Amino acid sequence: MKDIKLNIEQIEADVLCIGGGPAGLCAAIRASEKGANVVVADKSNTLRSGDAGMGNDHFMCHIPDVQGERPGFFSKIGKMSQAVTETFWENAYDLVKRWDSWGIPMKYEGKYEFAGHSMPGQPDFFLHFSGQNTKVKLTKQAKKTGVRIINRVMILDLIHDNGTIAGAIGFDVRESKLLVFKTKAVILATGKCMRLFPQNTGSLFNTSTSPINTGDGRAMAYRAGCELSDMELNDRWSGPKYFARNGRGSWMGVFKDPNGIQIGSGKEMTGHFYPQLHENYQKSGRGPVYMDLSDISDKEYEDMKYWLVHEANTPILDFFKEEGVDPKEHPFEFMTYGLFTPGGINYNEKCETPLAGLYAAGDEFMSFYIAGAAVFGSIAGESAASFAAKTKTSDEKHTQTLVVKTKEFLETVLNRTDGATWQEANSAIQQVMADYCGLVRSETMLTAGLEHLRRLKKKLPQVLMAQNTHELMRCVEVLNLFDIGEITFVAAQERKESRQHHHRVDFPFTNPMLNEQRLVVKNKKGQPVPEWRMKA
Amino acid sequence: MAAVIDKEKCNACGICVRICPTDVYYGSKAKEIPVVTYPEECWHCNACVHDCPQNAIHLRIPLTMQVAYKS
Repeated sequence: MKDIKLNIEQIEADVLCIGGGPAGLCAAIRASEKGANVVVADKSNTLRSGDAGMGNDHFMCHIPDVQGERPGFFSKIGKMSQAVTETFWENAYDLVKRWDSWGIPMKYEGKYEFAGHSMPGQPDFFLHFSGQNTKVKLTKQAKKTGVRIINRVMILDLIHDNGTIAGAIGFDVRESKLLVFKTKAVILATGKCMRLFPQNTGSLFNTSTSPINTGDGRAMAYRAGCELSDMELNDRWSGPKYFARNGRGSWMGVFKDPNGIQIGSGKEMTGHFYPQLHENYQKSGRGPVYMDLSDISDKEYEDMKYWLVHEANTPILDFFKEEGVDPKEHPFEFMTYGLFTPGGINYNEKCETPLAGLYAAGDEFMSFYIAGAAVFGSIAGESAASFAAKTKTSDEKHTQTLVVKTKEFLETVLNRTDGATWQEANSAIQQVMADYCGLVRSETMLTAGLEHLRRLKKKLPQVLMAQNTHELMRCVEVLNLFDIGEITFVAAQERKESRQHHHRVDFPFTNPMLNEQRLVVKNKKGQPVPEWRMKA
Repeated sequence: MAAVIDKEKCNACGICVRICPTDVYYGSKAKEIPVVTYPEECWHCNACVHDCPQNAIHLRIPLTMQVAYKS
């Protein structure tokens, strides 16, 4: 008979940043600069956690001295409001200079270089930067600014009272400690949601971006009453076959078919912005599709390898090296990966959410990649610090009730000796998502799938078990995935048209009447309810 | 699969245990050679390989993740 007990520890601050990626750390740095007492909680270690942990080589921005006047095309990039888009372009260069001053090399061989990752026929908008140690430098800068970083903390819920945020509750994933954060403002910066759909790669953790980004911020915001946006508009990526990894924009070769014939002229949206290419070729009997580097020069090849290192692709380069195979001589396959969730908390240009004291940044709504994390992280930090300066810490009684309830639930999962592991539950939700709410969607399948999902979801609290706090973290991630999954179903049912990767076989056309609207899902007494909004 | 530690080279400094994003080294003890408790949770990101001062770690890429290429 196990008897694990969690000891309660209370942490007080003005601002809590949940997630220590580029968004969370930039938020923390800015809030601290503005005079707030700031704490960052990261479920790994901010030095190497998240999508940016081992680097990124492209930073979207506009530098007038290099690019001239901002092309109109730039204002069409991104999926958020026009005010957010404008705010991004106005502030991105400032962040480039700040990052450079913190020791992140934003220049290559002494000058700003725009190359790679761009759309064919459009001006370059990605600054190439040597970002392998971005997280190390941001962590150092945060500490220098006086930010307190607490690593290995899984936050599971926000503490809120009548729509006002009062902190968050979590636990140490290595020690039996329940952590109660009492803060005046909270910034969510937990990244994307990756483990909801199977990735076609044979394992739960073989994902193109970080597998531990499980939509935690979205799920806790939703439970606290914040609406989520575009949850049915899932996206896909492509990359090396079987070793799921982002960075396709850094592979400089061309796509060729098995006979060595180039696919497209290189001027179309092949490959990088059309990830289904590989899957469609395979289905049509013309596959596989190869990344072919044989035509690039030796200098280009060396440059490419340099950027792949900064784009976090060293494990793939190491694989080829150990295999004794030179990828320049041996074309390798690309594949289309599974669906993921870019939609989420549709924060405004001040990073505010509908809840007072709650801010969101970065990939809580994926729109401007790492540059967006830097820009909106900083803005979230500024907004949160200013909110905290005029706010009192709130109600003790409400917090106590939540602490008691949470502690009891977590201890039950920890002490259970017979039940479902997190892997079993994670596979179950992936199965339901793929079969009923995946690449092909219809009313009848969505209805049947949602019914099944809800039945499983109801059982989770009674069956989930964890041997220790590490597995408890994974269990909480899966609980979040079930919430996100249910929301995705509800939104997919409501969107009676096809758009992007949301393919309704019963509504195959795109409805132009919906071009200017976005779909949100709200939590009404525990039930997800869809609502349409005019786009801002 | 996952991270493989060369016990001859490892000096038990604990950097890999401290930084691993997915905490595959959960349960490792201070000043002892780390244990890979959760190999199936390795993202194969190379953080531990890169940050190991002893060059004592390499990734064994599982068969399910090996890149398909033309011989």
